[in-house]
Amino acid sequence: MANPIDLPPAFLLVYRCRYKAEYPGGGVSMTRFIFTFLNGLTLAGLYFLVASGLTLIFGLMRVINLAHGAFYLLSGYVSWTIADKTDNWFYGAVAGSLTLGVFGTLVYVLLLRKFQYEELRVALITLGVALVLAQAMLAIFGGDYYQTNYPENVSFSVPIPGLGLSYPFFRIFVLILAIIVAVGLWVFISKTRYGAIIRAGVDDTTMVSALGINVQAVFIWIFFLGSLLVGFAGAVGGTTNSFGMGTDGDYLLFSLQVVIIGGLGSIGGVAIGSFLVGVIGQFATGYYPTFAGMITFAMLILVLAFRPQGILGKKQ
Amino acid sequence: MYAVVLILAILFPFITPDPDFWVSSGGTRALWLGVTALSMSFLNRNLGLMSLGQLFFSGIAGYIVAISSVTHNVKFGTSVPLAILAGTLSGVIIGWIALKTKGVYFFMLTLAVTLGLYSFANQAQEITRGHTGINSIPSPIIFGVDFAYVKPLYYLFLGIAIALFALCKFLEKTSFGIALKGVRDNEDRMISMGYRTMPLKMIAFVFSSFIASIAGVMGVFYVTNISPDSVGLTRSIDLLVIVVVGGATYLGGAFVGAVLIAVFEAIIQDFTQYYVGATGVLFIVVLMLAPQGLMGIAAQVRAQRGKKAGASA
Repeated sequence: MANPIDLPPAFLLVYRCRYKAEYPGGGVSMTRFIFTFLNGLTLAGLYFLVASGLTLIFGLMRVINLAHGAFYLLSGYVSWTIADKTDNWFYGAVAGSLTLGVFGTLVYVLLLRKFQYEELRVALITLGVALVLAQAMLAIFGGDYYQTNYPENVSFSVPIPGLGLSYPFFRIFVLILAIIVAVGLWVFISKTRYGAIIRAGVDDTTMVSALGINVQAVFIWIFFLGSLLVGFAGAVGGTTNSFGMGTDGDYLLFSLQVVIIGGLGSIGGVAIGSFLVGVIGQFATGYYPTFAGMITFAMLILVLAFRPQGILGKKQ
Repeated sequence: MYAVVLILAILFPFITPDPDFWVSSGGTRALWLGVTALSMSFLNRNLGLMSLGQLFFSGIAGYIVAISSVTHNVKFGTSVPLAILAGTLSGVIIGWIALKTKGVYFFMLTLAVTLGLYSFANQAQEITRGHTGINSIPSPIIFGVDFAYVKPLYYLFLGIAIALFALCKFLEKTSFGIALKGVRDNEDRMISMGYRTMPLKMIAFVFSSFIASIAGVMGVFYVTNISPDSVGLTRSIDLLVIVVVGGATYLGGAFVGAVLIAVFEAIIQDFTQYYVGATGVLFIVVLMLAPQGLMGIAAQVRAQRGKKAGASA
């Protein structure tokens, strides 16, 4: 099955090369435009999956997990390994998600819980976790780049009407998944009884405990869910894009950009942030590759200049 | 105390065993890392802001020196001041945005700034030569002294470190420094007392980016190359480890941490595969048990004793 493949290190660079290789007709401006837009949109779906866990945990618990990129990469490796062994993409994804869910919960319980209300100290500890994880993964998996094989039943392309071209279905599937997760999270947190308990537990821990609810257990579940989400994102993203050494930093950057632009702690904000970073980033990479990083960066600066709390963020 | 450290630092190249190795990999390296960390400590100590953006300024200054001297053959006499100026001025732009935020937001934003430079350096191959970076940067020769040699470079760095440390200490004593501490402790009260706090914070931030830019140039001369990894995530965390392990609220902590990490790196070089993992574990342990770092351990022990004595009395 999938073997480690040799690709240049920077994730965006990888994306650019594959764009050229896959769509040789890229010179045709309309086709190129549509493909860039579709790539951006499906990439936005992936960014949403990655960043939603980060914002969920922060929004509810005020804990910022800077090992998020390392979590993403770890799940990529785990799901690649399992998918490779079992020859089944689905098992790999489940294994990646669950491993990260459990791992994230352990990090929270063992390292973070004691200092939960010291935001900066928690952020620093998670950076330490990121450092240890990055080194451990480098020791185990080396500096090669990996990519999980597409699940067989969705590895076809859908035709784009009117252009005589087709687009890989799995990428569209990622976007659909992102929308499902977005709606699911929103319904869960704002419409169900459990969501109500979570929101109440965050606003007034003491009062909710007095009502007989185990708030510590609630926090553990939030952390589990948030880590599970990034684990799932790692499994999906490890299939659409290659990953390896340095991917943790790249995805930490994307997640930070997404939540800073969209507003930390807001699911809707993550959706807007992912859309902007994904689509604008993809156009920048496709048309002005040298300055792609600068363009997304300028967007971040521009948003913050007018809204320091992000587009949908609450005032600090 | 300072006198003892100073004398030890000056004598170091003559008293250390295996001077060729330890002066460079221990001393010079620690001074370079220490100055970079100093720019972070200054901001944290006086403004209560933990910035990971320092490598952004270092990176800007370092890349400018590297590109102009290797690609365009510009003399160091021109490129170095220009690089420091550019790094410092970029602090104005970043500061203008970042200082609107506080605490963990500030931390995150400055981290994103540094990672942004990393991805730019990786992508803009025409300018930065991408992942390979710019190699074999020549050493400066000032008044006939060739800084390619170990000892001259060590003393140059020692001089810079002392000067910048003294400058930080001096600034803290001025009315500006005292006003800064006021902003750190209670910004609202300072505003109601009629201070305009934004310019104060801005000056402090730009000053710290000035130190970081100097450190960036030092890095280019010490390592003789620069690549995206010089401003990458791992390097940013390394720097944070130095600041936190040394003691993030003490100026001297930057150098204590830098010496510790440089020595640690030099010793563990043979087992290099596990080096970063080991510092990561050290970092987490320090954060959990002694958040004030090594410089703060004495105070922490005293406080705990006091607490025990109070409880038994």
